[in-house]
Amino acid sequence: MIVSVNWLKKYVTIDRPIDELAELIGARLVEIEEVIDLGAKYQDVLVAKVIEAGPVPDSDHLNLCKIDDGGVRKDVERDENGLIQVVCGAPNVRVGLLVAWLPPNTVVPETHGTDEPFILGARKLRGFMSNGMIASARELDLWDEHDGILEIDREAKAGDPFAELYELNDYLLDIENKSLTHRPDCFGLIGLAREIAAIQGEKFTSPDWFTVLNPVLTKVAELKQPTITIADPTICARYQGIVLADVDSSARSDILTSSYLARSGMRPISTAVDITNWLMLVTGQPLHAFDYDKLLQVSGSDHPEIVVRSGRDDEKMTLLDGREIELSPEDIVITAGDKIQKPVALAGAMGGIETEIDDSTKNIFLESATFNLYNLRGTQFRHGIFSEAITRFTKGQPAALTAPVLAEAAKMFADKTGAKVASDIAESYPAPAEPVRLTIPLQQVADVLTGTLYREPIIVTMLANLEYVNVTNDDESVSATAPWWRTDIHINEDVIEDVGRVNGYDTIEPTLPSRKFTAVRPSGMAQLYDRIRQVLSAAGANEVLSYSFIHGDLLAKVGQDPENSYRITNAISPDLQYSRQSLVPSLLAKTYMNIKVPYDDFALFEIGKVHQKSYGLDDEGVPIERGKVALVVADRKRIDAAYYQAKAYVEELFARLEITVKFVPLAGSHASNKPFEPKRSAQIKLASDPSICLGVIGEFRHAVRRAMKLPEFVAGFELSTDRILQQIETASPHYEPPIFGGQVERDITVSVAAETVYQNIVDVIQEALGQTDLKFTITPISIYQGDDKAVKNISFRLRFALAGSTLTGDEVATIMSNVSDALTSNANVKIV
Amino acid sequence: MNIDEVRASLLERVTELDNPREVLKDNRLKALYAEIPKLPNEQRGAFGRQINELKEALEVAIVERENAALDQTVEPIDITAPFDSNGTKLTLLPTENGTIHPLSREITNVIDIFTRMGFEAIESRQIDDDFHMFTSLNFPPGHPARDGYDTFRTEEGFIPPAHTSTMQNRILRAGREKLEQGGQIAAISYGRVFRNEDVDATHEHTFHQCEGVFVSATASLSQMLGTLQAFFETYYGQKLKTKTQPGYFPFTEPSLEFAIEKPVSLGGSGKEWLEMLGCGMIHPNVLKAADIDPTKYRGFAWGGGLERLVMLKYGIEDLRHFESGKLQFLREFK
Repeated sequence: MIVSVNWLKKYVTIDRPIDELAELIGARLVEIEEVIDLGAKYQDVLVAKVIEAGPVPDSDHLNLCKIDDGGVRKDVERDENGLIQVVCGAPNVRVGLLVAWLPPNTVVPETHGTDEPFILGARKLRGFMSNGMIASARELDLWDEHDGILEIDREAKAGDPFAELYELNDYLLDIENKSLTHRPDCFGLIGLAREIAAIQGEKFTSPDWFTVLNPVLTKVAELKQPTITIADPTICARYQGIVLADVDSSARSDILTSSYLARSGMRPISTAVDITNWLMLVTGQPLHAFDYDKLLQVSGSDHPEIVVRSGRDDEKMTLLDGREIELSPEDIVITAGDKIQKPVALAGAMGGIETEIDDSTKNIFLESATFNLYNLRGTQFRHGIFSEAITRFTKGQPAALTAPVLAEAAKMFADKTGAKVASDIAESYPAPAEPVRLTIPLQQVADVLTGTLYREPIIVTMLANLEYVNVTNDDESVSATAPWWRTDIHINEDVIEDVGRVNGYDTIEPTLPSRKFTAVRPSGMAQLYDRIRQVLSAAGANEVLSYSFIHGDLLAKVGQDPENSYRITNAISPDLQYSRQSLVPSLLAKTYMNIKVPYDDFALFEIGKVHQKSYGLDDEGVPIERGKVALVVADRKRIDAAYYQAKAYVEELFARLEITVKFVPLAGSHASNKPFEPKRSAQIKLASDPSICLGVIGEFRHAVRRAMKLPEFVAGFELSTDRILQQIETASPHYEPPIFGGQVERDITVSVAAETVYQNIVDVIQEALGQTDLKFTITPISIYQGDDKAVKNISFRLRFALAGSTLTGDEVATIMSNVSDALTSNANVKIV
Repeated sequence: MNIDEVRASLLERVTELDNPREVLKDNRLKALYAEIPKLPNEQRGAFGRQINELKEALEVAIVERENAALDQTVEPIDITAPFDSNGTKLTLLPTENGTIHPLSREITNVIDIFTRMGFEAIESRQIDDDFHMFTSLNFPPGHPARDGYDTFRTEEGFIPPAHTSTMQNRILRAGREKLEQGGQIAAISYGRVFRNEDVDATHEHTFHQCEGVFVSATASLSQMLGTLQAFFETYYGQKLKTKTQPGYFPFTEPSLEFAIEKPVSLGGSGKEWLEMLGCGMIHPNVLKAADIDPTKYRGFAWGGGLERLVMLKYGIEDLRHFESGKLQFLREFK
């Protein structure tokens, strides 16, 4: 929202410099996004008088003019009379006219502050020297009108600064109005001025007309009195209107008025429309003018009949902009005719074409009303109407406001368009709002804000400055009635906010809460995440974060059923259609991207949440979320079995987490298993309890590799962090006393059938050694497969030691022979 | 020639041929194309589209068949072995390649500071409901302030949260008993949030926030300012000036925006301000929604983006880097 400081000054005294004002408003009312120095544009613009004007020979439209700038401009060529020659193409240039002159070597205001400011020169046009230019409203960046040069309409003399004439030495405040969502009053200059007075510590007094809540208007003409019916008071708290006769619809506003509207973002149109916009900017109350005679005709009665009701299904209407819209029962419509109830306006949003004002309009019906903001909010989005008016309506303008604004509008119409009040105020106001009176204990103010008491006179003065009504106090509390325009005041905290804010939050001394001293640790999950990150990054892997919501294509590529994902229905981007069911697919997409760079070899991991519909809902009725860690390792150049590289990572991770796992053939068609090739993948189970599956590891199916353009060497895993955490939290710390010295090292090689499972051999050795009191490790050295593809040789290095004694040669021999015996008890195993 | 018959026949051929791709050379396909010019103008487009659809269906069937054939050739491996036959013990990538994501790092840092200050730290949810996103936070249905959040919705009406405040009602409920026994509620929630926005260098549809909640019998705005100042001074390791401006959030009353002076470590000279977060005293209706009596207890809450902290700290120029997964970016954070 753009607010002119000069316009504010018509309601409140502002003496401080602009930057101090902006800072004060920022600290105590609302964020100011930008302060625009409007005056900077007009520094060099001068009022000039046209002394001579005649056609340029051989030109059908150019005029050769001599103008008088009162001799003010220094660096300009003058004739013997001190006049300046300017060539002007506007049809309305004529002798005697006062104009805005842009001297040479100055920037055209329209281009001021843009990337390409246009600097005027003195140059020849059709052989005649033209010094600067005589400007139109558009070139002056006043408003978008380029039909001719601006004709100055105020008393001035040649050489006067143009900016002063039209109060353009102004600053514009660009206000972040989101944080005023609850303050309809601040969407009008009076409301803002009141706040500025209060934060400057001054009493504000609203204009007299603004406080007359039951104005009486004197009829000076006679047209048929309209009737108003509100079908449902919940959609429209109050509807008022008045008939104005003999309106001069062709009248145009003066430049000063137009310029204030334009700098506030409203295009000047006609006096009639400008009055409604002017009052909206001043008060926050939008008005709408209907063509009275058209309204009467649509009503089909002897007087205008207005009915405010909800829209109906299958009902259509054509708006002012020519659009035909389909109404919804959530829309509010203004209709004409008690019986036919034909829509003539979409309430709060836009008038209908049938009752539109045009230049031939003589009589108008002027509406001042307030509508249910929730309905209008829907209307706004349904029909894509984001006008200044509906922006204000959707803040919930108070019903009391309609009357003073309507009365002031009638007065302005009379003054500026010659209109005559031709009816009584027509009105329906089913349930006038009750004022809110609150009693706020001083202790509560202190408690909420600072812990120390505010002196009550400060509070009383502050509330009075803000025009709270009937502010009284005793030793312990202050009582006040919220002014009728403060629709945001319901509870004590709302008033306390005013006190804290207007007095300045920056005056509150920060303190720390006094608390019982207790230690808090990060959650087990946060600690686990941290641990996993440490381990995997130390193992050369890179942590990535990727989106929780993914494109449907990604699900399709890895074979996950989209029906098992939560689907987003309103995403702007198709990249976010579905919740992801596992992390691996996202990592595969990132793998492709990095391979392409190219990076030869890398491992990516991610820790995050996944969702599947099949998980169901939790006790709160929201989807169950599961924590996962996944890793994908890839190498552009290798062609050996990538599975084992991924396994090396997962074994490193579990070794560091002190969890013993085993790898069993992949079974089940869980969503997270889908990308994996069953013949080269495994489930990871807890060694001590194989009913607990910790995750899946493996290489990826051909279809996945192909669809995702992955290299030959790529594998990965996905683990449940929820289950890992369970294991960690239930495990007790493990320690065995070290054995110093006496360690024996022996290698053993077995020859087995090619299909023999490695782990089975290890299990046998483990069991054999486990029956002793030895402390031992089993390390694989090699797995050799020669020309005979039916067999393979596996070599292990065994290291063992016994606590408290050194093993003798015989003892070692016995141990090794026990191991051999255990191995060869299976007929297919030979010791080599 | 009937296109449906051709389709059925060709799809069957895909399952029969040794090389299913041969089907694309079938004469009947060519014959179908040859028919197009013979058709009246207005039928050509539709017929052409039908042939294209047929070709796409064939392509899908061929790829499926090819993949199935490739799957047949996959050699099983010994999933329990430490490495492949005739392979050697595998090494992991060099430690110097490894990195932790900068956001994870800073989240850990933030959690660390707040837990030291006595705040529990809880990760926020990623799919939630309207009650936790809005209603429990004093946004009645249809409230205009809901518009400011550009929320996504799922078919079921669930909401990927647009702020970490979705955890507030849960935190308050979980802490109510402690509060009534004379204790306090002190917690932060952190995690991903989602907004239906177009992505550019300064906008993301997926980002991270951290939210804080403190409730006690004596909580005040002054304590909130003190707590926030203490956090930022610890985080940046220096004394800092702070500044507030009034804001509006339905779930706090009063509501403020909180800014700090630009710290020296970020090149600050004490004159620039950095807007860090929104905050305020918890609205009585929010306490009531968690069955906490607002006449006995008060609280304050705050919430802000985490990417901003990290971007300022490292001078990261583009928000999109965070979720890009690009190694060029990730390996900057050794």
